[in-house]
Amino acid sequence: MEKPVRCRHSPATVSAPRAEPGARGRESGRQPARDVQPPRVKGNGITMAPRLRLPSTLLFLVALLLAACQPAASGSPGSSVQPSISSAPSAAAHSVYPLTLTDDTGRQVTITAAPTRIVSLAPSNTEIVCALDACDDLFGVTDFDDYPAQVADVTDVVVGAVVDVEKVVAADPDLILAAGNGLTPTSVIDQLTGLGYPVLSLYPHDLAGVYDDISLVGEAIDAQPAADQLLTSLQARADAVATAVAGAEPPRTFYEVGVFEGSIYTAGKDSFLAALILLAGGEPITGDPASTAIQLEDLIAADPQLILLGDAAYDPTVTAASVAARAGWGEMTAVSDGHIVVVVDDVVVTRPGPRIVDGLEVLAKAIHPELFP
Amino acid sequence: MRATAIAPATARAVHTGPSLIRVMVVLGGGATLVLTAMVVAVAIGSVRVGVGDTMAILCHRLLGLPLPRSVTPGAESIIFDVRLPRVLTAMLVGGGLGLAGTVFQALLRNPMADPYIIGTAAGASLGAIAGLMAPILVPALAIGLGSSWLGLGLVQVLAFAGGLGTVLLVYAVSRANGRVPVVTLLLTGYAVSSVLAAGVALLMFFSGQHLGAIFGWLMGSLAAAKWINLAFAAPLLVISAALLIVRWRGLNLLLLGDGPAANLGLDVEREKMMLTMLATLATSTVVAISGTIGFVGLVVPHVLRLAIGPDHRLLLPASVLYGAALLAVADLGARLAGGIPVGIVTALIGAPFFIWLLRRSRMVRPVVTQ
Amino acid sequence: MTAAVQTEILTEVQGVAFAYPMPDGRRRDVLRSVDLTLARGDLVALVGTNGSGKTTLLRLLTGVLKPDTGVVRFEGRPLADWRRLDLARRVAVLPQQLDLPVGFRVAELVGMGRAPHARRLFASTEADERAVAGALADAGALDLADRFAEELSGGERQRVLVAMALAQEPDLLLLDEPTLHLDLAHQVSLLGAIRRLRDQRGLTVLAVLHDLNLAAAFAPRVAVLDEGRVVADGPPAEVLSPDLVRRVFGVQVDEARTPDGHRHLALREV
Repeated sequence: MEKPVRCRHSPATVSAPRAEPGARGRESGRQPARDVQPPRVKGNGITMAPRLRLPSTLLFLVALLLAACQPAASGSPGSSVQPSISSAPSAAAHSVYPLTLTDDTGRQVTITAAPTRIVSLAPSNTEIVCALDACDDLFGVTDFDDYPAQVADVTDVVVGAVVDVEKVVAADPDLILAAGNGLTPTSVIDQLTGLGYPVLSLYPHDLAGVYDDISLVGEAIDAQPAADQLLTSLQARADAVATAVAGAEPPRTFYEVGVFEGSIYTAGKDSFLAALILLAGGEPITGDPASTAIQLEDLIAADPQLILLGDAAYDPTVTAASVAARAGWGEMTAVSDGHIVVVVDDVVVTRPGPRIVDGLEVLAKAIHPELFP
Repeated sequence: MRATAIAPATARAVHTGPSLIRVMVVLGGGATLVLTAMVVAVAIGSVRVGVGDTMAILCHRLLGLPLPRSVTPGAESIIFDVRLPRVLTAMLVGGGLGLAGTVFQALLRNPMADPYIIGTAAGASLGAIAGLMAPILVPALAIGLGSSWLGLGLVQVLAFAGGLGTVLLVYAVSRANGRVPVVTLLLTGYAVSSVLAAGVALLMFFSGQHLGAIFGWLMGSLAAAKWINLAFAAPLLVISAALLIVRWRGLNLLLLGDGPAANLGLDVEREKMMLTMLATLATSTVVAISGTIGFVGLVVPHVLRLAIGPDHRLLLPASVLYGAALLAVADLGARLAGGIPVGIVTALIGAPFFIWLLRRSRMVRPVVTQ
Repeated sequence: MTAAVQTEILTEVQGVAFAYPMPDGRRRDVLRSVDLTLARGDLVALVGTNGSGKTTLLRLLTGVLKPDTGVVRFEGRPLADWRRLDLARRVAVLPQQLDLPVGFRVAELVGMGRAPHARRLFASTEADERAVAGALADAGALDLADRFAEELSGGERQRVLVAMALAQEPDLLLLDEPTLHLDLAHQVSLLGAIRRLRDQRGLTVLAVLHDLNLAAAFAPRVAVLDEGRVVADGPPAEVLSPDLVRRVFGVQVDEARTPDGHRHLALREV
């Protein structure tokens, strides 16, 4: 990899960045060990189990968090093989303010006037805003934001996954786009809401959700025509993929999010990633819905026909050869047939923004190369 | 006819406590330090707001003085809505932890005791994590993460209840024949904490994408400081601090041992229970609003004891003041270092300093046996 | 000064029995039926074999333990009717040993003895400070006032303990084998000081001692505890007879006289 390894994934996480490499949970807040009696355990039992290495940890965890994206309690997995659900084009051409919207966490958010100063707390939100031609209205982004290139000049209000509330306030926003499901800490959302800012939390759990988010943002910033246009083209491309893979036999596909000291992480059951793989014409092998881990024996029993190395994109030690060499992996069909594909740009596969359809196309090409020359 | 003391004419009156000057220096110095720390911590942050503007904003909001036009609304919001509650929370938490640590070290006659030692941290952690995870496991409880009851989320309430409840349990289990021996209390606290810690680890394993939030809570952070949390915590802490500070005599006597203390008129068991419960109340309150911030409750009493002596008459109020100042400054450091959890800062600064002090000083053991 | 006219009874132990609860549920009888009366101004040595209940009796006298049967009265009222604090203002204990917390000056430690009399929330009263000064002076520890506990020698520490007890301004002073860790010189000096203090301050003293000769030299009255009962109580010359010593302690001794007429008990060959 040409760039120094840094996390390019979205969305901002709140876990690993706070841990120094080798830090173990509570112990970093404790005194050095003594042998004076009696021993104390306030939380020495609580450690981050694998010894974490920044930044591949970072990247891994971020991908993990995405892979663990759960559908909301309504439970619809969005895993149908149908052509993607299209959002109805908005009826009005302009938004009327004051405007009350319901965000992805169910909160009612009121926007009093067309926003001209937007702060985004997640790279996917940034991409949506820019895809709606409102990039110039961004006055705060995260340090993970890397697309499009012009956002590099915007002030980072989220550094190392920590939201700097002071910087958000200093940016004087009239709309804040946060990430739902705890990816932007709820306490931060509460704090910002308490300070009087409209905070829209976006959290799509499937492709339809991404379309809804684009629609929502379009309505929020009075950019509905741009949103409609974007949605039309995205849906067309997604439909094209779906049509192309419709007849093909879906191979058992294992998307490797990360392998850490014996734990294997993949797409969680009923997760966004699993749904995407399904849409791309594969049959996803999934892990535990909460931890996204899968036991090696379960993986061997599932016998993937195709292995997609999502972690190869940020961890140079992961290659087709290194995977084949792992103990117990040699028996898998994918390994013996040599069907191990490196996912070069895993950002598009895991970032739930407008480029997710790019990710769909990447997956489809990896799963069915013969259909997408 | 009662026995009377016959003091020989040559005996001078002997001072049995700190002189007034000492008291003024120690407590006055502490108060000054707290005020300075507060102003400095409010004035400095990741966004530059000049000291002059800071003072103007504080005077405007607190004293009603008019605000100069040069001060932007953003700056006002940053100072008053973001930084001030956070700094005040830091001071409250630091003071509470310092005081609780001092009480537990005397009560348990153990220099390595900290406020969490008999189970508060483990219980509060379990409660907090259950509160964090509950809305996921039982969607109907989604009130916990979003809205809250009077500003207190499910997490705060369960953390508070968990901390307090665990200590009550430990205390009850340690009681035998109406007495609670100190060693039993310690060991029971250790055992119960271990069990609860296992529960916490289990929940963490299944937490999936919420692992980050849990980890952040465990490290302890003041980032989520709100005025409403202060409104709840401040009265509880002020009351428990006041009730603890006046019990300095009992704490001094307990250092002599249960028997001698009883002979000097102390109701030993009742005093131990009051002290434990009050200190735990303070600790649980603090943990509910800030997570488990380590080190302050261990180091502040020690450093103060080395500096001003073990007499609780002065030590208790001093621990509140210097603990408050310490955490306000540590939190400033945490903010400037990129928003890392404040517990890391207290550890990084405190541990080496503490080691240095220990090596310098002879006063390591709490008692001298005959 | 003899309390010839004062026959007011200070402490009265009547028919007291006490048994310690054991971990296995049984009870270990220590005191079977003890009767002992201390008048104001008495100076009594309590002797007996190991395990005869001497320390237990002391703890019953302070109210820390409650008798299973019988009653302990102080100033005419049963101990159960006394508030802990009121009793602490009148009864002081000089323990065998005391862990002195590090970092306190002697004056502050002795000041802790004023705890039962404490009136103000944070400060001490003038009476407190005078009492402490007096206690230090009487205990011969005035020069130690500004020293730290951990700097003291054994004998100095003993004097501080005495001062702490005296600071309570008690009517009754109970000593629990105070000479156990002291060399002969210090033993004599301590007991001499106690006698002097009893005369000066009008204390009533009950001292548990293990050395019979020391007891005889120290106190005009000796009580002997054996198997949970007081088997003898009176002047040492009568009480500590070779006969009793053989019966209670199982050791054969002979009476002897020193050149200036003091009586003591001499061991035969070991």
